[in-house]
This record gives sequence, structure tokens and C-alpha cells, in this order.
Amino acid sequence: MAEALQKKLQSELEKYKQMQKDVSKSMSVRQKLEAQLTENNIVKEELDLMESSNTVYKLIGPVLVKQDLEEAKATVAKRLEYINGEIQRYEALLKEMEKKSEQHREVLSSLQQEYQKATGRAVAKV
Amino acid sequence: MHTTRGTTMADKSKRNIDPQVRVDRLRKEHEQVVKGCDEQILHWKKVSGDYEALDDRLRTLPDHLSFDVMVPFGPLAFMPGKLVHTNEVTVLLGDNWFAKCSAKQAQKIVDHRVKYVKGELDDLLKTRKNFEARVGFTEDLEELSNKGSYVDIREEVRSKETVVTKGKQRVAHKPNSKPKLDTVLDLEEVEEEGKGVEADEEYCKILSEKELWAKLDQLEKLEELQDEEDRLSDTGDTNGDDTTSSSSSEEEKEADCSQPEKEPGPKTSWATSGPANGQLVSQAAPGGDATKDEDEQEEEEEDCLPTIYFSHTVEPKKVRICTGKNTTLKFSERKEHSLTHSKRKKKNNGTNGHSHHELHKITSPVDIYRLFVDVKNGEPVPRKSILKSRSRESSVCSDTSESSAADFDERRLVCRSVSHDDAPHSDTSDGHTEDDSPTALPRTPSRFEAFSGTVVEKDPMPTAVPHLTIAPPALPTILERKQEEGTTDAAPPVEPPKRVSKFKAGRQNR
Repeated sequence: MAEALQKKLQSELEKYKQMQKDVSKSMSVRQKLEAQLTENNIVKEELDLMESSNTVYKLIGPVLVKQDLEEAKATVAKRLEYINGEIQRYEALLKEMEKKSEQHREVLSSLQQEYQKATGRAVAKV
Repeated sequence: MHTTRGTTMADKSKRNIDPQVRVDRLRKEHEQVVKGCDEQILHWKKVSGDYEALDDRLRTLPDHLSFDVMVPFGPLAFMPGKLVHTNEVTVLLGDNWFAKCSAKQAQKIVDHRVKYVKGELDDLLKTRKNFEARVGFTEDLEELSNKGSYVDIREEVRSKETVVTKGKQRVAHKPNSKPKLDTVLDLEEVEEEGKGVEADEEYCKILSEKELWAKLDQLEKLEELQDEEDRLSDTGDTNGDDTTSSSSSEEEKEADCSQPEKEPGPKTSWATSGPANGQLVSQAAPGGDATKDEDEQEEEEEDCLPTIYFSHTVEPKKVRICTGKNTTLKFSERKEHSLTHSKRKKKNNGTNGHSHHELHKITSPVDIYRLFVDVKNGEPVPRKSILKSRSRESSVCSDTSESSAADFDERRLVCRSVSHDDAPHSDTSDGHTEDDSPTALPRTPSRFEAFSGTVVEKDPMPTAVPHLTIAPPALPTILERKQEEGTTDAAPPVEPPKRVSKFKAGRQNR
């Protein structure tokens, strides 16, 4: 009985860890996206300030490619939208993951309590 | 496994519920935040320094056509070289975008960025300040809990005592008129308990009881005084601070009033069970009387137009109309008496010589409240509100309509017939008028004509209302009374027997 509980506990724990990892991953992705968002905003502002006399280049690999100012503005705007969309998607994903991890947490805690009752706190053997 | 251990440890710490530990942790968290802020601030300061240097460089670049520089050649070597086209600067806009600009334009961009950096820096400084303040607070908290120079004032709420005694003795007729003595006394209690670190329960109990009595007395006196001052405008009593609780003193005050005043204590039996003292009851009564006196007086003064009669069925048997049978008639007589002699002092009502026992003497609004009593387990329990619907169900009395006279008239008409039913019913057994009203309705039309025009009060629509829907049972009393008065002479003796039979039938059916 106690062993079975322990195994259950272990498996639940693994799942929970996995969930946590996923959550943290999505969090980091989201943070990156946010940074990109701010950057692109700055670029957009700069481009707006720029007059058409000076040329705009885009770094593609080791090459600086000449770009049209208008094209550049359009591209940056599109990229901004894309980033916003990604952020929202990741936010939704994060929420779901949070909920799942909460559920897992509850399950874990209940299992733990059972196990403790059964074995009297032998869990802390490690 | 370590996580499980961590959780068990967490459980342990939770179980300990050591405020000290928690406060420590809070402080640490705050400090960590402050550190983070510091680091970021450093970073941004560096950035702004860099930009300033850049700005300088950009300014000097266009001075010469070319510059002699040592160009870094790999990681370890430099090479002498020249900077040419010094006005052309390729600026990184961000996200792999570049723009070729003149030096001045580049400078503008740099200025832009410097502004942004400064904004970030300011934000960070603010947050840092906030968190430093928070750290200070948590430290203070620690001191409070640890050093013991500050004592946590805890007052055990013995709600049962206070609520019971207060609730039973003072019905909140005027919830807003509670004098400030309440708060004063409460403060005293709190102080005493706070100072005495060991607040013994017994000590508190004794204190609270005494305080309660004194409080109650003062409250009632204050309320009386307020009422008098407000309405009567004759009395100049300002003795609100009397702490002596004696019914005699209150009666004296009453006597001082030139207006008809409350009845003396004994009449009002505020059905309070338990801790109700006779003293308190008597004092409560005047307080309650005051409010009702007000009502009745106002109504009496307005006598010329709508006449409001209070008729209450104190006990099942007495009630209403029933012409030749009962108390209620006498009731009405009494009311007429009081109405005609509007200024008559209520004290004289005691000499009306009714055979009823005191409950049925309604000479002041207090009596009404007295009559609205829930008979529970054989003991009358006072009710706080006589206007609520439930009064009809369980109460002995029914509501008096304090609504407009118009409604009045309508209901009066309808209920007249109803009341007929009610009277015999009440005579016989329980005064559940509402129950009988539906049964009574089908008979209304015949009865209705019988009573038209015989009512004393103004009767705008004598025959126009037979089709009215069932009046809310709230008003049968008033209507009954009107019927009574109207039909003192004209009450057809034929009616009562019918009523009785049908009532009995109705009752038996239930």
C-alpha cells in the first residue's frame, strides 16, 4: 500500500516537473518576444524619423542588403503584428499550463498527505 | 525526492506558523528585489555613459576629413589606419536593420536613445525606493512582534451577551438615533481591556454587563430626549447624559412634556425574555413610546383628512370588527375617544375601564408594537418590524397600513367584506385573516352593498370597488375598524352567523 502510494507519488511528481519546465519555457519564449516587441517599436520610430535620403540596410547573415525605406517600414510593421500575435498565443498557452500545473499540484499534495498518513513521514528519507 | 522533502519542510514551516519566520522571509524577498533593482540601475547607467561617449565622438567626427587611428587587427594587433567619410555613419536601428545617416542624424538617434535609457533608469530608481521603504516596514513589523514593547490589543468579542441584551431591549425603531455613548462606552471597554494585559474573562463579563445596563439606560434617555426635542419642540431637556437609570426620572421628564406622553412603564410589556429587567423594560418602553407617540400624534394631528385607526388583534379571540361581540368595538370606541380629544394625554387612557387586559389598550404606538408579537412556544416575542409580510403569517396582529389613504380606501372596501369573515374566525380561534380572505372574497359582492355608505370615514368609492383584487391581507385590520365604526349601528346581525359557519368550515377544511 505504501509502496504503491510512493510510486504514484513519484509519477505524479515527474509529471509535475515536466509541466513546470514547459511553463518556464513558454515564459522565456514570451519574454523574448516581448523584448523583440520593444525593439521593433524602436526601429519603427527610428524609421519614421528617417528621411528618404539616407539608405536603409538589412543585415541578412554577413551581408548588408540595401532596402527601400518604405519597404523597411512595411516589413517592420508586419513583424510587429506577428510578434503581437505570438505573444498572445503564448499567453493563452501559459494560462492553460498554469491551470494544469495547479491541478497537478493539488493531486500531488493530496497524494502526499495520504502517503504520509500511511507511512508516517517516511518520505524524508532522502 | 528533494522536492518532496521540500514540500514536507514547507508543511512543517506552515505548521509552525511562526510569524517571525514569515516576516524574515518577507524582508529577504524585499531585499532581493532591491538588489535586482540596483543591478539594473548599474546596467542602465553604463549604457547611458556609453551613449554620452558616442555623442561626443559623433560631434568631433566631422571636424576632419580623415582621422589617423590605430585599427584593431584581430584580437591582438593594431594597425595604423585612417578614418574616412567621417560624416557617413551606419546606424543599427535594431533587429538587424541599419540605416546610413550623416553624423548629425546619428546624433539625433543617439539623443533619442539616451532619453529612453533615462526613462528606464528613473523607473528603476523609483521601484528601488519603494522596496527599500517596504523593507523598512517589515523591519518595524519584526520589532513589533519580537520586542514586546508594543502589545497587540486583542478584544475578545463576547457577542452573545451584548447582542442578546441589546437586541431584546431595544428594537431599532430609529436605527440612526443611537447616541454616541455607545462608542464612548466601547472605547472605555477597549481601553480597559487593552491596558490590562491579562484580560480575564470574568472581569470582562462583569464590565460588559454593567456597561450594558448603563449604556442601555443612557441610550433610551437620549433617544427620548431627542424625540422630544425634535417633535415636540417644547421640552428643553438636555439631560441626555444622565447615567442614573431610574424609571421615575424618566417619568418625570415625561411629565414635563406638555404634549401627550408615553404611558408609564407598567403598561408597556415589551415582551423580553431572559435578561430583561423590569427597570430596563420600563425604560425601553418610554423610548419606544416616544417613537410611536410621534407617529400617533402626527396622525392625530392630521386628523382632519385621513383617519388612521389602529386596530390590532392582540390575541386570536379578540380582534376585529365583529360588531356585537367584542373588545374590538370597545377598541374602536376608545380610538374615537382618543381621536376626538386629540390632545388628550395618553395617561388618561388607562381609565377607560376596559375589560381587556392591558395588552388590548392601544393608546399609543407602543401598544401596536406590543401587540405585534410572535407567539412562539407560548411566549410572546417582540417583533422588530410590523410592516413586513411575515407579520401576517405568524403574528397575532395584522399590519396597519401606513400607506396612502388612497390605497386605504380601496383596501378598506374590499376588506370590509373580508373582515367580516375574519371577525368570526378570530372570535372562534386563530386570527389568521389572510387565510380567510380568499374564501371571503366570493362573498364580497353581496356584503359590499350592505355596507356602502355606512362608514364613518370618508368613503370615496363605496360601490366602485367590488371588483378589486384581493387586498393584501395587511389591511384587514384597518378596514375592519372602519367597518366597525361604520357599522356600530348598522351591523346586520345576520352576518355573524354566516361568517362563523363559513369560517369554521374553512378552518375545518384546513
